[in-house]
Amino acid sequence: MATYQEFIQQNEDRDGVRFSWNLWPSSRLEATRLVVPVSCLFTPLKERPDLPPVQYEPVLCSRANCKAVLNPLCQVDFRAKIWACNFCFQRNPFPPSYAGISEVNQPAELMPQFSTIEYIVQRGPPTPLIFLYVVDTCLEEEDLQALKESLQMSLSLLPPNALVGLITFGRMVQVHELSCEGIAKSYVFRGTKDLSSKQIQEMLGLAKPAAAAAQQQGRPPAPQEAVCLFLFRFLQPVHRVDMNLTDLLGELQRDPWPVPQGKRPLRSTGVALSVAVGLLEGTFPNTGARVMLFIGGPPTQGPGMVVGDELKTPIRSWHDIQKDNARHLKKATKYYEAMANRSAVNGHSIDIYACALDQTGLLEMKCLSNLTGGHIVMGDSFNTSLFKQTFQRVFSKDYNGDFRMAFGGVMEVKTSRELKVCGAIGPCVSLNSKGSCVSENEMGVGGTSQWKVCSLNPSTTLGMYFEVVNQHNAPVPQGGRGVVQFVTQYQHSSAQRRIRVTTIARNWADAQSQIQHIESSFDQEAAAVLMARLGVFRAESEEGPDVLRWLDRQLIRLCQKFGQFNKDDPTSFRLSESLSLYPQFMFHLRRSPFLQVFNNSPDESSYYRHHFVRQDLTQSLIMVQPILYSYSFHGPPEPVLLDSSSILPDRILLMDTFFQLVIFHGETIAQWRKAGYQEMAEYENFKQLLQAPLDDAQEILQTRFPMPRYIDTEHGGSQARFLLSKVNPSQTHNNLYAWGQETGAPILTDDVSLQVFMDHLKKLAVSSSA
Amino acid sequence: MEDMYIKPGNQERGWNDPPQFSYGLQMARGPQKNLLNKRAAPPSGAGAPPLTPPSSNPLAPPPSGVGPPPRHPARPPPGSMVMPPPPLGPGSQKEADSSQSESEPDVDGVMLVLSQALAACRQAVKDQVCNDVAKRLHLLEDSWRSGRLSLSVRRRMTALSLDLQAGHWDSADEIHRSLMVDHVTEVSQWMVGVKRLIAETRKLSPELLEPLLKPAEPEQDSVEPDQEAVKPDQEAAEPVKDSTKRVQDPTEPVLDPVSES
Repeated sequence: MATYQEFIQQNEDRDGVRFSWNLWPSSRLEATRLVVPVSCLFTPLKERPDLPPVQYEPVLCSRANCKAVLNPLCQVDFRAKIWACNFCFQRNPFPPSYAGISEVNQPAELMPQFSTIEYIVQRGPPTPLIFLYVVDTCLEEEDLQALKESLQMSLSLLPPNALVGLITFGRMVQVHELSCEGIAKSYVFRGTKDLSSKQIQEMLGLAKPAAAAAQQQGRPPAPQEAVCLFLFRFLQPVHRVDMNLTDLLGELQRDPWPVPQGKRPLRSTGVALSVAVGLLEGTFPNTGARVMLFIGGPPTQGPGMVVGDELKTPIRSWHDIQKDNARHLKKATKYYEAMANRSAVNGHSIDIYACALDQTGLLEMKCLSNLTGGHIVMGDSFNTSLFKQTFQRVFSKDYNGDFRMAFGGVMEVKTSRELKVCGAIGPCVSLNSKGSCVSENEMGVGGTSQWKVCSLNPSTTLGMYFEVVNQHNAPVPQGGRGVVQFVTQYQHSSAQRRIRVTTIARNWADAQSQIQHIESSFDQEAAAVLMARLGVFRAESEEGPDVLRWLDRQLIRLCQKFGQFNKDDPTSFRLSESLSLYPQFMFHLRRSPFLQVFNNSPDESSYYRHHFVRQDLTQSLIMVQPILYSYSFHGPPEPVLLDSSSILPDRILLMDTFFQLVIFHGETIAQWRKAGYQEMAEYENFKQLLQAPLDDAQEILQTRFPMPRYIDTEHGGSQARFLLSKVNPSQTHNNLYAWGQETGAPILTDDVSLQVFMDHLKKLAVSSSA
Repeated sequence: MEDMYIKPGNQERGWNDPPQFSYGLQMARGPQKNLLNKRAAPPSGAGAPPLTPPSSNPLAPPPSGVGPPPRHPARPPPGSMVMPPPPLGPGSQKEADSSQSESEPDVDGVMLVLSQALAACRQAVKDQVCNDVAKRLHLLEDSWRSGRLSLSVRRRMTALSLDLQAGHWDSADEIHRSLMVDHVTEVSQWMVGVKRLIAETRKLSPELLEPLLKPAEPEQDSVEPDQEAVKPDQEAAEPVKDSTKRVQDPTEPVLDPVSES
């Protein structure tokens, strides 16, 4: 292994893991002094085309409270056919089927290259995927039409044996019975009355079989024809009902109840969701299912209402929330949280597709998706490419032709004795599994070694936080390795049950004698994202300024620990290469929409945070510090500083913020374009130059989920603000002339620039009083 | 080529709506060639004022008198360095399409194949389903005859019917999906019937399939070998250095509206 960078990359490619530290400090006190906790970003189902799953069950440690999975780091006695667990040191005999093993005949799970391995296990009959559409009909005609078409289209993308159901709502909630023949029937619920799960099941006529099903929890419904018909009334295989459902969707009308002037339509989102959750709870508990909610406005009546129907009362803003003036906020949030938890218990995930110009109540409803691994997609209208393509990509397939979605994930963490797990941050809920490796000290969702992730895809990434247990006077002996094992059980989209096991080890290091080694093992990108997740997790519960102060304090402490400087001499301050980008990441994080709510609605903040705490490292880092590429005649496109000095007249810039793609034409380029040089044969190269960023943008557009907004602008264009608000304002109207000559673009802002930020940071880091 | 395109987003309804990729283009996507995930290293000592990039133009001309862009006819344009070569998929499909475009889609031929398939299904599939499919095939025929179907839909339906006749179920199903994604407004009403027809036909026993799979009429038959013949031809005609052009081709007409600001 030549460099840490290569090591880090290799580990990410193979195991889907990025640790903040790749050498671990050998005592709790030393770990605390490193400021950034021992933690990692873990992508449980990272796409591994080169990893075919094995077709047998994993071998588990026989100790009842350990049950770690046999892995390449275990000591094996091939003659005695015994392996030693590397977590609890229990000696285990191999099962009879391993009788033939020897040094030269090893099962895959013992080979070093299989530190990540996937098992296909047979547990009961396979169950089909379930998709329950919950559709708001209080939409404008154009939007409803576009949504209907997208839903019809999705029937072609679903696997033929998938079960599909339809609930529509406006003032009333309608559960549609799907049959292959006869007339369409539906059950109607009032949108104002909160119903218990039991009542819903009784009203839908599901009560009796539900009781029967309850006895055999976790198993798909009995195959008797009668029960099947019963359960299948509302959820039918696509291949059986596609024609009727296409017609049913095609005939959907806007909510017929008149909406008086000055009123919002009455939208019973709360009851509709409650019916959907109750329906699945009664029919398919513990089976992978996806509730897909499509809304064009906020819930306005019944339980879960976010705003009243009077248009003159606007929906809550950050200002209202700060002033404690958001009337429905607490009640609605509580309602949806209870529902999200119920859904998570059953293993069902909830997506929200919200398309409207005003807020739709994502702030209150976000937990539905955040706790169940569902998607949130926010757009202006269902008749946009942003919605249509994002929705299509929910059904995208991998290199094997399998859907990039998995269900009912349970992720368990096992640690060697020197480590404990403090918590996880990501689209998961705690399973409250206390064990010996669970820390008292909670970070994120803690107090457990198991989490449920109801729906996950190959990019779903959790932040995992650990602590070193050993006391300072009894540090971990040198030369040893700490081990972490992730065991993820899930329902593959092909309906197989699978278990993915990733086992990772890192060396212990003495923080006193080997601090430089520890420093060079620092993964600043991972650390930035992991600290950002902690910040965002706090921001969801605390006031913004407190979170910023906390982040600042951590940064200063880190610089004090690892910076090289003479006391009280800021100019002497230096950071080594492995930390050189970290302060910059923190600078941009402070300005990001994940921590700043200014200029964003509560819904937007919820939306941005939702995506931030589930994407992998690369995407998360793009969100923290957007990527800027510059195109010019002077050479191939190159990454440039996210700085106002990069905005030059003869450049085209491509900025990727994850949520937006901005192509910005510099002043001269814009004039050349206006003059039409690209049309002239002798300026073919100019045409190529204009084309290059478009082509690169297309590549990003083709893979990103959700589809970003796409902005093509130029110097002086009003949309240039997207770029101007993201770059470091190194030149502003305040210091413009200080630089002597005019380069780059001055930004009209009083925001602190990176330079000022760094000056303060250095001053504080070197100060002897700090 | 018509199933590989990008069209602008709906700027009327969506603020900065991204462009829309056709189904074919989405499926043809190879591994991402040009990952834009690098960051420029900060200037040494991160606090120093940023250095002006060396290649900037210090004599930024006033807006009124901008010089022309530099001409570099001999040098390879910078754009070519970032353009990925076309993924393997599009090449062959493009050719298949261009060969089809030579023969005008023929409603009778398509309907004949579909009705034959339906007739074959009648013996094994429930009446009610068959009648439902028949109803939708009528809708298709009506739309086609009354000129309500775009050329792209008509061509792809022709290709679909040929695949159906040849027993290429997956390929037929794939065309059905591409039509649902790219032209849902036009086809949603009846396409589900075609979809069901494909699904039911592929389940039929060989004896029942026989009448459908028997050699088709000569004129349709001639289209298939054509596809094969065209492939080597085009490959040879196109010099290697043209690889950039092949990528641009499908995108060009559609990118124009996007780049308007």
